[in-house]
Amino acid sequence: MKLATIGVGNAGSKLIDQMIEFEVETGRNLCRHALIINTARTDLAKPENIPEDRRVLMGDTHRKARGHGVGGDAEIGAEVAKTDIDEIRRVFDDVEIHEVDAVLVAAGLGGGTGSGAAPVVIDEIQKMYDEPVYGLGVLPGKYEGGRPALNAARSLQSFVNKVDNFIAFDNDAWRSRGQTIEQGYEEMNEELATRIVTLLAAGEVDESEVGENAMDSSDIMRTLDTGGVSSIGYASTELAPAKQGLLSKFNDEDQSEDESTDAAKIKGLVRRAVNSRLTVPCEVSSADRALIVFAGPPEAISRKGVESAREWLESAADTVDVLAGDDPRPGSSTLAAVVLLSNVTETPRIDEIQNQAVDAQNKIREQDAVREEEIQSLITDDDNDLDPIV
Amino acid sequence: MKLALVGVGDAGTRIVDRFVSREQATGRSITTGNILVFNTDDRVFEDTRTIPEERRVLLGDTHSAVKRRPDSADVSASAEGKGGDADRVHTGTHADTIDSYGVGGDPDVGATVAEADLPEIRRALDQIDETEVAATMLVAGLGGGTGSGVGSVLLEELNAIYETPVYVLGALPSTTEPDRRALTAARGIRTLVPLADATFLVDNEAWRHGTDSVAARHNNINEAIVTRLLALFGAGERDPEAISEMRVDSADLSRTLEVGGVATIGYATHELDRDDNDLFARLLQLLGLSNDTDDGGVDAATIKRLIRQALESKLTLPCAVTSADRVLLILSGPPDTISRKGFETGRYLLEEETTTVEVLAGDEPVSGATEITATVVLSNVTDIPRIDEIQRQAVSMHSLSTTDDHDTAGGSDSDLGDDEREDEVDPDRVLTDDTAGGEDDGDVDENDGSEVDNTNKHNAADSSVEAFDGETDHSFDFEAERDE
Repeated sequence: MKLATIGVGNAGSKLIDQMIEFEVETGRNLCRHALIINTARTDLAKPENIPEDRRVLMGDTHRKARGHGVGGDAEIGAEVAKTDIDEIRRVFDDVEIHEVDAVLVAAGLGGGTGSGAAPVVIDEIQKMYDEPVYGLGVLPGKYEGGRPALNAARSLQSFVNKVDNFIAFDNDAWRSRGQTIEQGYEEMNEELATRIVTLLAAGEVDESEVGENAMDSSDIMRTLDTGGVSSIGYASTELAPAKQGLLSKFNDEDQSEDESTDAAKIKGLVRRAVNSRLTVPCEVSSADRALIVFAGPPEAISRKGVESAREWLESAADTVDVLAGDDPRPGSSTLAAVVLLSNVTETPRIDEIQNQAVDAQNKIREQDAVREEEIQSLITDDDNDLDPIV
Repeated sequence: MKLALVGVGDAGTRIVDRFVSREQATGRSITTGNILVFNTDDRVFEDTRTIPEERRVLLGDTHSAVKRRPDSADVSASAEGKGGDADRVHTGTHADTIDSYGVGGDPDVGATVAEADLPEIRRALDQIDETEVAATMLVAGLGGGTGSGVGSVLLEELNAIYETPVYVLGALPSTTEPDRRALTAARGIRTLVPLADATFLVDNEAWRHGTDSVAARHNNINEAIVTRLLALFGAGERDPEAISEMRVDSADLSRTLEVGGVATIGYATHELDRDDNDLFARLLQLLGLSNDTDDGGVDAATIKRLIRQALESKLTLPCAVTSADRVLLILSGPPDTISRKGFETGRYLLEEETTTVEVLAGDEPVSGATEITATVVLSNVTDIPRIDEIQRQAVSMHSLSTTDDHDTAGGSDSDLGDDEREDEVDPDRVLTDDTAGGEDDGDVDENDGSEVDNTNKHNAADSSVEAFDGETDHSFDFEAERDE
């Protein structure tokens, strides 16, 4: 697939940056255009793989932002994006949209800029183009608290209503102890970038390598066509160096043993991809459609294995709509399976965020309702005997 | 956050001076020269080290209600011969703790003087480049006539001309200070809090305890205030700036404060003793006695404890933390030490303890720092026992003065305390009369003072305060008087 990518806010920008880093490292070619948008000048300077002229600072003239972020306030994030939408559109004008298959908008949903501004940007892009727009959203962890949960629950609604598919990433599923803040976010970004790029870049390596079993962009897009929220699973295995020598070729017995080992390995890989950490934990059987991409050296991808893995996923996901295909990567020493579960409807983490958000909203409203009264009562003595000075 | 500082009165001037000095020493750039101090008595100007002369503005020097200090030669002469007190006006209950110079502790005179000098104030404010800063902070002692009185007018003016937020840092008098200062502070709170975008308060009473001398104690309080302000407004303003994952930006601070009301600051540090610790920690790990698996970092439990300590530390103004509307946490330290889990669970702890969901948190990586600090801002706290106390003190003062003015039946004769107090005159009135009636204050006030001294319920404490007297807003002049 060929993508135009837009990162909104700090998390979104760093994700796009990481995706580009990963595709360059692995010789893929997915992100044909990259644009990052932020309200904080210093955060905009952080990504390393985005050209200077593809970084847009918005809201630098806004009274509350002034180039220093929006303080986690999604309303201001949205307001600022609406005000500066012309500027964003101008930068996007350079994108030759006919060169890409889809647009991917990445954002963290807990903060103010990503959650507020990204839906505004998506609206604008859909006005300009017919290509599908996918969302890639990072959900805040429980410990990020009530306000981020409220931002995320609200932004999730906007995202899911507007995009053709929303790929969710749950921060909580990816926490691990012993990390510093720096390491923590870097590791998560790497994990997510690996999954997204491996999935979406399938079929874009080298035209000459495309075999009959190769995954095609249109298959991926068809799977994403369901709308709703999607989750991605991933597993990889290091391959032993390929056997050399004539002998093995003529040893039928050996080959069939290899074949069955490979097949079992492939199926095991897919089971592991689905059962290990999904980008957002979900009930697999609630998926509408599913798709598997095998990325690795063609000789390691056993047809038998692919078929049995596909069948297994069909029953696990309880859907007949399961596609499987290859992303041949000759010479690669790893074999990876990435599984897309499209339109999963049972995602406990999203329910939790929504509950946390409702509580947060109630609390905020209660505070708003009594705020002025409480301040007045604080600064005034009981009988209101004291006069202000001016 | 880039911040303009406007100090008013002695306390304000001294805090601004110390802030700028520490800002320069720690290599931060916050005020970038956008500072200004106003006073009605220029004595404290001489003590400042970082405030250029054109940034010090003396108000009311032609106003009849403002008492000019004699030439410094005279002052030192009279101070030498223990007769320094003769230079002071004795007004109200704890007469000799309020300095007669400037507006003599009267906020109404302060306000009048500032109104009269508005053209000069405006001219001075032109020196501040508002486009360079994200906010302005007015710094004042609220018990003082200049701090509260001139401060109120200044705040109105700043509000009128600046688009950016205007904050106040106000210091509250301690219980050992005259009731009249409590009255001024209560009225100051009433005036400034609604005008300001947010008001940070520091309570001298909470910070008064200790065995050190008054001078050292006040020096410490001043230092504590500046340390907290720097941690808060200086986050991310170092050069060169390290890259941060969860950077605190100035919009985080302004959003935390935008609810208005009163804010208070908590602060805690954790010393990193990495070289010494490493050996011991490794030994513990080898023996299986430690579950700290971080390499060289600080474990999550330590970070969480530090955040808890900041919340439970002595706040600049003690309050019920559950009454806070919004909270901001800044964790500052070497980037390779701050555990993500500790940061997240600590942030969540703040949400649980303060019962608000509006908790913003960020880090400030400082390479090579030898400590980790947690700074917590509680914004719009409304349950503050100390303010109630000051209001009660103020009201009793106020109603007594009113009684004195209007009560002809002498209804409180039965009460000895009231009886004594009835002899008091409205201190504001006394002062106004004094200053309006000429510069000869000594006589009137010595009379008042000798009587009122009997009602002094804080003799011990007051004597220590007196030792430190000689500056106008003494309670906010946390630094030692140089002559002492």
